[in-house]
Amino acid sequence: MKSKILAFLGSAVLSAGVATAGGFQANLQGQKQIGMGHAGTGLALDQSSIFFNPGALAHLRQNGIQLGVSALNAKIAYREPSPGISSAQTDNPLSTPFQVYASYGKEESPLRFGIGVYTPYGSSVNWGNLWQGRFGLNELTLQAIFIQPTISYRISDKLGFGAGFVYSTGNVNLQRSIPLQASNYAEGQVELDGNASGFGFNLGVFFQPVEKLSLGLTYRSKVEMEVKEGDVTFMLPSSPLITSQFQATQFDAKLPLPANITLGIGFRPTEKLAIAVDIQHVQWSAYKALRFDYNAPIRGENFSESPRNYEDVFIYRLGAQYQVSDILTLRAGAYYDKSPVQEGYLTPETPDADSRGVSAGLTLALSEKVDLDASFLYINKKQRTDDASKSGGVAGTYKSVAYIPGVGLNYKF
Amino acid sequence: MKNIFYKFGAAALLSSAFLFSGCDPEFEDDVQVSAGSLNLSKYVAVGNSLTAGYQDNGLYLEGQVFSYPNILANQFSFAGGGGFAQPLFSNEQRNGSGYLRLSGFTATGSPILQPVTTNLATESATSAFFKDEFTGEVQNLGIPGIRLADIKTPGYGSAQGNPYFERITPDANQLQTYLQRVAASNPTFFSSWLGNNDVLGYATAGGFAGALTPVETFTNLYTELINTLTANGAEGIVATIPDVRAVPFFTTVGPTAKPLLAAAVAAANAQGLPITGVTALSKNTATRITITPASIKDASGGSILLTLTSSAYLPLIGQPTGRYWRELAASQNPTNPTAQLQGYLANFQIDTTKAFGLDPRNPIPSAFVLDDTEQNEINAATAAFNDIIKAQANAKGLAIFDAYQYFNSIQAGFTQNGVAYSPAFITGNLFSLDGVHPTQRGYAIIANEMIKAINAKYGSTIPTIDVTQFRAVLFP
Repeated sequence: MKSKILAFLGSAVLSAGVATAGGFQANLQGQKQIGMGHAGTGLALDQSSIFFNPGALAHLRQNGIQLGVSALNAKIAYREPSPGISSAQTDNPLSTPFQVYASYGKEESPLRFGIGVYTPYGSSVNWGNLWQGRFGLNELTLQAIFIQPTISYRISDKLGFGAGFVYSTGNVNLQRSIPLQASNYAEGQVELDGNASGFGFNLGVFFQPVEKLSLGLTYRSKVEMEVKEGDVTFMLPSSPLITSQFQATQFDAKLPLPANITLGIGFRPTEKLAIAVDIQHVQWSAYKALRFDYNAPIRGENFSESPRNYEDVFIYRLGAQYQVSDILTLRAGAYYDKSPVQEGYLTPETPDADSRGVSAGLTLALSEKVDLDASFLYINKKQRTDDASKSGGVAGTYKSVAYIPGVGLNYKF
Repeated sequence: MKNIFYKFGAAALLSSAFLFSGCDPEFEDDVQVSAGSLNLSKYVAVGNSLTAGYQDNGLYLEGQVFSYPNILANQFSFAGGGGFAQPLFSNEQRNGSGYLRLSGFTATGSPILQPVTTNLATESATSAFFKDEFTGEVQNLGIPGIRLADIKTPGYGSAQGNPYFERITPDANQLQTYLQRVAASNPTFFSSWLGNNDVLGYATAGGFAGALTPVETFTNLYTELINTLTANGAEGIVATIPDVRAVPFFTTVGPTAKPLLAAAVAAANAQGLPITGVTALSKNTATRITITPASIKDASGGSILLTLTSSAYLPLIGQPTGRYWRELAASQNPTNPTAQLQGYLANFQIDTTKAFGLDPRNPIPSAFVLDDTEQNEINAATAAFNDIIKAQANAKGLAIFDAYQYFNSIQAGFTQNGVAYSPAFITGNLFSLDGVHPTQRGYAIIANEMIKAINAKYGSTIPTIDVTQFRAVLFP
């Protein structure tokens, strides 16, 4: 089953993109929630509860399968510190974070089983190999696909618990220029490429004391993505004196994908209106440093480490949906996301800043069994100037925006 | 049914992606560029090899194109600057005077430097003078080798003068001095970086040849130069003279030679020769000085500097050899090297049958060593010259690039945009293969420092340049 899903997913272009949240988190896990500022932990909306709140899954009356994908179009502009005026802009490939959820349980059973496959972290940044910061970064692609089998139990109409086990698989590819030029003027380059995997879990509780109010609390654990024996490839001037300085052929690395605690509140003032408020605490402080350990020395060192020292942050989300008719539901929402990157630690791989997101969405109920979701999210990060003195990054001013349309298909049975 | 949805979804996805691909992130503020109170319509650069774009022990087309004055002119063009004419070598003669390139490394890691001898602009491989004159307008008046002491010398642009000045001096005007040429250039903005060779020639010769310009001469000529440049109200920037002791030419060999000399001295002691160090000549005299290994400058201390040119001869320590004097005689007097050699041996009381460096009768040549006496002279001259330069600049309200202060401030190295810079030979990215002149990257960094000084002085916002677009040393 797992390999089948992976084979299916492998046919799509997989990579979650940068600029959808703080750090390299990609908060795009459900088309309905995206339309509401990605809030919904306190609501039992659909099979995406497998991610948003496993405790709410058992409150869904129907079994179903959901497929969704977003087209993440993020752009970052860079300008060197004044009085310089050189600038650069990323040429990021369109990336397509996706989500697949399926749940099953007997109609009157309080038990629901589910599986989710989704991409909560990722980054795809391509600055090219000509810009001023190329010795910091040419290109970075981080991908993580979470596969989460889940069980949810409805204790009563008011209370449900759920738990999911997370297996994460992914890869990392990092390319940067090396400031050594050959006699044909070609600059050196290094590429680190490796597969990564990790484990974690997702716990949730759903509580609906009265019809008009529901609460959700989830804890998604940290997942430590570990790369073992990834490939290190150098392109360098051929002089042995130089190549002997760059002996590594393999690297190991660990990248923490941080834990999240989310509290969600859902109001249903009328039959047709639902309002969701989420407060998400992202424990980014797990990301202390980006460290690569090599199997042989590079310039005399068996590892490289650059400090990141991310801070824990809160994300505030607000969204609403209104059922206009039997076939049409409209949504809107917004969120505010503090950057986990402290002053002096900005890097070209995640030139992060406090970000504001606004979104809209709709659902078309095409038949009893089939719903079509559409969402659109616009993210605007604050312009940020940093001297990058502590991260060994690239000093300058960065500005990011992202446009993220998405569609989803729900089939209920 | 499913198929239709799939197609609809894919179409919506693609079209919206296309729709938004044009929406780029924009900065809140536009780039500010202004010349402030400056008139940059005609910029003229006055100076020596540094100004010409000299590097890798030669002046060639690539170095000219990436000279700091050309970089400045390029940046001035953002703020109303005019064109900038340089006496560029033609493409056929692109290797100019010839230069050194790094062709490899020895088994012990020493760089192998090879002269480039094709596509030269010189009359022959042995002549320093150029085939063709450059008759066009010249705004980069950087003349490699020129001292401040030379700027009023008639005939400096003749066939008996400086080949680089001869190249740009019209035959009909052979007696025009450098100062007259500067006066005729009539700039609205100038840079002046002269005076380096008034100490550098003496220093790189290890105090063996050349002379320091007397302070009084320097004062008079510098005053006259600045008066000439500002006569028509031009503004400008002047640069001070860097501490020549801080360049790789003097700092590279010492640290590696120190343990080798210590071993040679210890070996001599073991054989019953009671010496505390090696013997060397000082200045252009027969005076012997003793250099203890501990007194050679490296990170742990010491003060004696060894020149880059000494590295080929230091392995001969302890051998009976007269190779240096033979080669010097051959280069100085190709027609009668034997007589020249006899002259050297007599003048400096040298017995080439004795152990080189270890026996006082066959000392290390003065040209390889900058000893304390020589360094003190150079320091005193550099400090005095820089005082004059700064005083003149301040009197005329000019911007100052304090190269002395700047190069001393970067001795420990610095990192910019992920590139490590230091004054280290070859690996430091700042200095070219001659160990004295900057790389193109180094010149770009200098240009940016000058722009910052100009902006600070004149309230302008001339943009600096992205230095990573310029090359450092090229590796085989």
